[in-house]
Amino acid sequence: MIIRKVLYSLITFALVIVINFVLFRLMPGNPVNMVVPSDPRIPSEYKEHLVEEFGLNDPMWLQFLIYVKSMLFLQFGDSFSDPGTPAADIVLSNLKWSLILAGSSSVLMIVIGTTIGIVSAWKRGSLFDSGSLAFTLFFYAMPTFWFSMMLIAVFATDLRWFPDSGALEFGTSLEWTWASFVDLIRHLILPVASLTIGTIAAFALIMRSSLIDVMTEDYITTARAKGLRERDVLRYHAVPNAMLPMVALVALTIAFVVGGVFQTEIVFSYPGVGYLTIKATWELNYPILQAAFYLIAVMVIIANFIADLVLMMLDPRISME
Amino acid sequence: MRITSDRRKLGLSEPTLEKLKLLKKKSSATWKIYRSNRMGMIGLVMLLAFVFMSVFAGQIIWVLAHVAGWPSAYGPFDEIAPVGGGLPPTEDHWLGTDIRGNDILARTIYGSRVSLLVGFVATVVSMGVGCAVGLFSGFWGGWRDEALMRITDVFLVIPWLCLMIVLATLMPGGPSVMKVVFVIGITGWSWTARMVRAQVISTKNRTFVERARASGAGDYYIVKKHIFPNVFPLVFANGILTVAMSILSESYLSFIGLGPDPTKIVTWGNMLEDAMTGHAFINGLYLWFLIPGLLIVFIVLAFTMIGYALDDIFNPKLRKR
Repeated sequence: MIIRKVLYSLITFALVIVINFVLFRLMPGNPVNMVVPSDPRIPSEYKEHLVEEFGLNDPMWLQFLIYVKSMLFLQFGDSFSDPGTPAADIVLSNLKWSLILAGSSSVLMIVIGTTIGIVSAWKRGSLFDSGSLAFTLFFYAMPTFWFSMMLIAVFATDLRWFPDSGALEFGTSLEWTWASFVDLIRHLILPVASLTIGTIAAFALIMRSSLIDVMTEDYITTARAKGLRERDVLRYHAVPNAMLPMVALVALTIAFVVGGVFQTEIVFSYPGVGYLTIKATWELNYPILQAAFYLIAVMVIIANFIADLVLMMLDPRISME
Repeated sequence: MRITSDRRKLGLSEPTLEKLKLLKKKSSATWKIYRSNRMGMIGLVMLLAFVFMSVFAGQIIWVLAHVAGWPSAYGPFDEIAPVGGGLPPTEDHWLGTDIRGNDILARTIYGSRVSLLVGFVATVVSMGVGCAVGLFSGFWGGWRDEALMRITDVFLVIPWLCLMIVLATLMPGGPSVMKVVFVIGITGWSWTARMVRAQVISTKNRTFVERARASGAGDYYIVKKHIFPNVFPLVFANGILTVAMSILSESYLSFIGLGPDPTKIVTWGNMLEDAMTGHAFINGLYLWFLIPGLLIVFIVLAFTMIGYALDDIFNPKLRKR
């Protein structure tokens, strides 16, 4: 079963490379533009050199092989906007900010969403149930970028409680000091809030319906018949089993969270991969675009694989299939 | 019985009449359940209001012009104020004017057209691809199923927003509505394919399908008569939720400048882009930013509520709760 999962992940990975090749080499338009900046000041020898390096004059099958090799070794060429710096380095150095942002908001949305889901399932039909449903759905329907801008308008521009852009105070870098840490948190609060609040609904809804589902199982009736208190039935019998769909959901929401990160980063000018990617689309900085797309896809495949493994460990029924 | 006689006058044959009667009975039963769903009804009313607004956009502006005593009805592209900065709301321009010198109210009302259109058409595209892939892979099984599912996996795993941005940047031709529709449709079908496949497989092995096959029914007949009616309700409920996602995607693509050209086509997404580049907040033009965003929230909310209500109806297991 694990071998099959590994195999599937590898196939997905291979297909990602194929899709990348189709997008960045076979799309109509000159593929030379993908590796050579269109700046007229660039000497033609350098252009020739790049075309040669990426094998753009070779037959298609050879081009593909060269492409696969360059993907495996993370060679995407130099960023157009800062010559001499490999695109992969820039993307990787921005990655930590995105991971901080995505990681902290993922933890928050899982904890808050699950809690809301449990309470609404427990007190089904109550004011809390319908109120939290309306509240979370409202923010779920909101474009994340718009919500981010609202937060900036209220808490940064008007109240001036939090900074409106960046990951740290301008000109400073992350250090192991208390002041730097506080600065990091201060810059993180608004983006994390917009990401978290917008996604709570997904977790709350699934947790609620999963728990309601579990509550109709026979073993819950047994637990009640044993004379357990309702609270203990919930804590020891219902919730652990209801958590299983949540783990599956975590894997599926990764794609969703990445989308949210893209939206918040551009509004907050947060120097992560999303900000970098969108800036790359404006400047037609193809090496950066390609590196970011590829690296994100690879990371998501790995994350999904880990989530699958965790799910298999938690629920033996899956690996029996 | 009056209806029956009317239909007889139309020249409908007896079996067709029976079928129509059955359809009417079935749909009125569904409608009865739907009507008792409060969330679904609120969503439906909201949606109808939006459809009215987009269909009669020109007439609404005309009526407003008469009520407010404007010399003429403002169009979404009429330059009525100096270009370059937004102007605050006045007696004539209730929401003010934007950086293009256009009336924001008119643009907002007309903006509903493209948002709804993109939402619907992109959904049709992704439902079409998803149904085809799911149907074939579920019906065929074997290596063809395996191949189609691996491709589906890639689209499921790659963050769809990321793929959308890359596709929209790399596709040849300038920005257009068609491109946005294509990009959204082609990235959003994987969920549908998965769901349709699961449903097809579970239907395929039921006894009534086996019986039909034993009595000599062909593939086409089985799909049309037995599989399609079982899959359709789920696809429909899923499609409604996809419209919501598509509208959100459109607004985001337009927001980062990959949507249709704002001088020719107005969408709520590119209005928000204008508001951001025109520094709506710093200039105190809150409505310019607030109204289009809120309308996106409500239209997405409408579709989401209808979608969940339909899900409730078509999943009888959920209804019991």
